[in-house]
Amino acid sequence: MKSALIWDPMVLGYRFSLDHPFNPRRVEMAVSLIEALGLLEAPDVGVVAPRSATDEELLRVHSPEYLAAVKRLGEEGADTRDAWRWGLGTDDTPVFPGMHEATAAVVGGTLRAAEVVMSGEATRAFNVAGGLHHAHRDKASGFCVYDDLAAAIAWIRAEYGGRVMYIDYDAHHGDGVQGIFYDDPNVLTLSIHESGRYLFPGTGFVDELGEGDGYGYSLNLPLDPSTEDDSWIDVYSRLLPEVAESFRPDVIVLQNGCDGHTLDPLTHLRATTRLYEETVRITCEVADRVCGGRVVATGGGGYAIWRVVPRAWTLVWAGLSGQKAPDRIPHAWLDRWQGESPELLPERLRDESGAYPPVPRRAEVEAINLRTLESLRRQAFPLLRGWGMGF
Amino acid sequence: MTRALHTVRPDDPLAHALRLTRAHRVRHLPVVGEDGKLVGIVSDRDIRLAMPSPLTVADPDRVDYLERTPVSAIMTSEVITCSGADPIEDAAKLLYRHRIGALPVTDASGTLQGILSETDLLYAMVQILGGTEPASRLEVALPDRPGELARAVSLVAKHSVNIVSVLVSPVRVQGDKTVIFHLGTIDPREVVGALEAEGFRVGWPSLEEDVRAFLSR
Repeated sequence: MKSALIWDPMVLGYRFSLDHPFNPRRVEMAVSLIEALGLLEAPDVGVVAPRSATDEELLRVHSPEYLAAVKRLGEEGADTRDAWRWGLGTDDTPVFPGMHEATAAVVGGTLRAAEVVMSGEATRAFNVAGGLHHAHRDKASGFCVYDDLAAAIAWIRAEYGGRVMYIDYDAHHGDGVQGIFYDDPNVLTLSIHESGRYLFPGTGFVDELGEGDGYGYSLNLPLDPSTEDDSWIDVYSRLLPEVAESFRPDVIVLQNGCDGHTLDPLTHLRATTRLYEETVRITCEVADRVCGGRVVATGGGGYAIWRVVPRAWTLVWAGLSGQKAPDRIPHAWLDRWQGESPELLPERLRDESGAYPPVPRRAEVEAINLRTLESLRRQAFPLLRGWGMGF
Repeated sequence: MTRALHTVRPDDPLAHALRLTRAHRVRHLPVVGEDGKLVGIVSDRDIRLAMPSPLTVADPDRVDYLERTPVSAIMTSEVITCSGADPIEDAAKLLYRHRIGALPVTDASGTLQGILSETDLLYAMVQILGGTEPASRLEVALPDRPGELARAVSLVAKHSVNIVSVLVSPVRVQGDKTVIFHLGTIDPREVVGALEAEGFRVGWPSLEEDVRAFLSR
């Protein structure tokens, strides 16, 4: 098996309420589209069920007090008056029954992905339900209770040592993962997102470079809100190879939040499905060169759940598993889901070029993003060269 | 302000003051008498102005000039200071009006307690402007009449969204003031909708005009 899709309906329990935007329906639809397009049939791909994360695995990245609070608040009839102290019980991240068990399953999925990749059972693995990058050591935030990405990175470090490169191109800054490894020189975090000047969580600026021994191992590329595919892919393809070749990771952990799509209601970025194909292609090429192809991937944000998320994550899976996905979406799949969808489902997997009107200030946006990239290089590259010399 | 102070005495040689500014990378040294009272201030620029030019040929008579001259010869005695209880906007105004780089902080008796540098103040401003908790940023155009801010705030409160910070900019855009909310939510759509339904112009990510003004600056 070269590529593993981590999936089992048990992960659908991570659900806050019926009308909450972080709707597990998106994961179910994505997996069913992957299946409908025949992308689970090749002899070298397989489906692996998640497991539940243990307390020990969660405690590597969360405080004991926080873990105890999540368990207690998720019990039937719990007193939730102090939930706000833990970032819970808010409109964003409400308390729900069985919260600990449901989230531990999401974390366990990303741990399984890391296990199959690090043991050599597969080269790439994709936990569609994972990607809870806003959860902090002792605080829930932005739809995220436990941080599955951080738990998987900490598991890799504990079991195998080595260097982990975390790449996050969700439209929101990956603040939880960055914060947990802010002083760790063995974990490099690289987040590309809509600038925190405009969007939640309001962080992820170029000058956040890490601290202590980890100084120079946190990289952030905040994009102008109106960024389209070309500029996004351009800055990513310039930055990634240089960083990866200097850091020389043993494995790449990739968060594939797809809320940077132009149809997403929570952000202002203007990507199309091409961004997901290209980002995964570029990342896998670099992984093949620097770390034996090893990529542990997750989903993440994505709130245009009918028209975008299933298509974006199908393209992510196709790219990771090295398959060419057919463009026409089968009628059986459309019939299965159109009844539930309030919007007309697209019949093609890829957005056609010119499907969305161009941004009038495109040249300006491209110039702003290039200037940000330059600023990141000026601040981070003296440190990057330091790694190359074995400091 | 910084409490870990590097200070000099009026009779310390300039050479000593110069070494302090270099070793600790500070630009201002308060000059303090034996009783701990502030008697002057000396900047690295004052010291450099008192040094011979590196372009002139060394004069044997002046080699130990810096060792022989006391700080009191070049220090500023009329020092602009502030008290620890002053609001930071007052301290900022003092630095700006007098075009100086640091304010010694003294108590009522004139005893030195600390120093507030431009950098300290800039950091305070960064914290005030940026906020420190995860938040979404909204810009709302406010008609310049009583009660408008309260009206906007109460609409936010109705949606039980926590306000992390509020900043009202006196700069007018098309006659309106701009208020910047940092809201503790990843999903401000309902708040945006409620504000717009009540007639407010809302910028998320930004009021278009503000983006323009920022870019053309």
